[in-house]
Amino acid sequence: MNSLSEIKLARSVAPSELERPMSHAHISLRNIRKTYGDAVAVENLNLDIEEGKFVAIMGPSGCGKSTMLRMLAGLEDVTGGDIQREGQRINELSIWERDMPMVWQSLALFPFLTVRENVEFGLRMKGVGKAKRKTRALDWLQKLGLEGYADRGIDQLSGGQRQRVALARCLVTEPSVLLLDEPLSALDAHLSVQMQGELKRLQRELGITFVYVTHSHSEAFSMADTVVIMNQGRIEQAGGPEDIYLRPATPFVARFLGGSSIFDCKARRLKTGEMVLEGPDGRFKCTGSELADLDEGQQVSLIVRADQISVTAKAGWAENEVAARVVGEEFIGALVNLRLETAAGTAITVQLQQRDMQALDIEVGATVTASWHPEDGHIING
Amino acid sequence: MGQMSKDMTSSLSTRRLSRLAYGGIWSLPLPLWLAAFFLGPMILLIWLSFWDVKNFLLTPDFQLENWQKMLTAPYFWAAYLRTFVIAISAAALVSLIALPCSLAISFFLSVRARMVMLGLFVVPFFTSYLVRVYSWQIYLTENGIVMKLLAAIGIDSGSLLNTPLALMIGLVTLTLPLVIVIQSISMLSLDKTLIDAAYNLGCGPRRVLFATVLPAVRPGIVLGALFAFIFSFGDFVTATYLGGGKFTTMSILIADTVKSGQQWPRAAVVALMMIATLLITALASIAYAYRRT
Repeated sequence: MNSLSEIKLARSVAPSELERPMSHAHISLRNIRKTYGDAVAVENLNLDIEEGKFVAIMGPSGCGKSTMLRMLAGLEDVTGGDIQREGQRINELSIWERDMPMVWQSLALFPFLTVRENVEFGLRMKGVGKAKRKTRALDWLQKLGLEGYADRGIDQLSGGQRQRVALARCLVTEPSVLLLDEPLSALDAHLSVQMQGELKRLQRELGITFVYVTHSHSEAFSMADTVVIMNQGRIEQAGGPEDIYLRPATPFVARFLGGSSIFDCKARRLKTGEMVLEGPDGRFKCTGSELADLDEGQQVSLIVRADQISVTAKAGWAENEVAARVVGEEFIGALVNLRLETAAGTAITVQLQQRDMQALDIEVGATVTASWHPEDGHIING
Repeated sequence: MGQMSKDMTSSLSTRRLSRLAYGGIWSLPLPLWLAAFFLGPMILLIWLSFWDVKNFLLTPDFQLENWQKMLTAPYFWAAYLRTFVIAISAAALVSLIALPCSLAISFFLSVRARMVMLGLFVVPFFTSYLVRVYSWQIYLTENGIVMKLLAAIGIDSGSLLNTPLALMIGLVTLTLPLVIVIQSISMLSLDKTLIDAAYNLGCGPRRVLFATVLPAVRPGIVLGALFAFIFSFGDFVTATYLGGGKFTTMSILIADTVKSGQQWPRAAVVALMMIATLLITALASIAYAYRRT
């Protein structure tokens, strides 16, 4: 398990130095760089997207995720590097030659065309005959539950229906890859969740590649086979959702995903030969193979997930303990997120069952002890 | 509790009333203006069209003779058709000339250059249309600069005045700036993502104009053409000074009818026919502009 995480870590840190694979990748980004004047939007971007995979690209706004999608679609030129499709460089292909339809954040449906004509648009551009166009458009409208809406105008549809028309318009030409730019951000929460299920089902059934840009954790982690987390124009980590959740590769990823506590520490070898982590919050024990690779004095972050931390009123029970003050609590259904702060200012999040919280009987301002098992800490460089 | 909810509903309705009153005051000038300068004169005009003229004197009456006389007169229908054809041609010509200008302004110019260009199109309105048409008259006469230039390259076409071309030049002068501004506004408000979406769906740059841009800005193009039609249909200046009265349009017909024997009621019939035509054209155009596909 840990060696796997190291591979992921290596890939996200220095992918260009990895040997170039025989490229089973459907789409590859190689050392992509994009600048606007002096401003660097994307740098040293390397990513292999396998055929038929659902890839979600997420990150804070301005991280370069939309720029990356627009470069894939050909809407933006790349300043440096290669975009490859089946091993072929496609940098020079125009937008209209790329055959990577996109579902736009604003949907960009044509208001001057009916629902059916919108869906037919791509086929019309490919020179498909009128009768065939109509049959295929109606077929897709039916697949997406829009039968009976073919002759309506776009302004006569609900938000969810428009979403489906946008999907049908892209899928009718049977592309092998679909680009999606925050397509659900305009929908209300309930509809968004429903559409997430439908999108995932559609992608699995069609077996085509989805490249999905989003700022929403829930969308990315519920649908994607691969989650790519970007920050300041670079990929911080790429991997399976569970992998990223359990083993964030960088402090940024841990912070971005939230729900974890991050302790700044330095590695220290005790006289007994044991390696421990020491920081402003105290000395912590840790197990796991990551520990063996650390050098004396190396700066690391110790990540502990909110559900792995226990809270007790008294100290002296566990191996890794830190005293902290209760600064807040959030009730999420049957769970409580307890927010603590140590004397050194480290924020700690603890997830508890509602009834455990009641049993603890603590108030904001109280000082408690947070503790975790040595095997639950996850060490990352930096 | 009951008292409280009663207070709340009454305060709510007071608030709604005051909001209505506020909106009402702001929108009041429009109905007042329309009543004073459109509806009133309109009723007067309709009434007038049933009056009689006795010994060059207007006499209130209710008789259908004016309508009968005008609507059965061949010269009326000839003028009507001529005006209609001239106005339609001018609207089409102006729209065609304006289209590439508006496309350039909206899609190829920088924001700064765009502001300057649109500003320049307003400049012609600083001088009276009559002055501009007079200038054209000087240009187009036999000794005008245009004729001299044409003669210099061996084309001797006589005076261009009083030709359909002169009419079109006058009407383009009148309507082109307005049509370019209307078209440009509709193109500038076009969501550019639609063009990206068209490219993304395989639409090449040669097709994007006809498959996406023009259909999307159709309301603007139709409205521009409609304005050109309305102005041209009712125009008196160009028909008089560049057409030399050779082309009797509806406006000239009104002037002639009034001049010859104080026939205000018959002129009213002509005017009402013009208004009816413009109303129908406007409604049909707007219906077409916002129709899907």
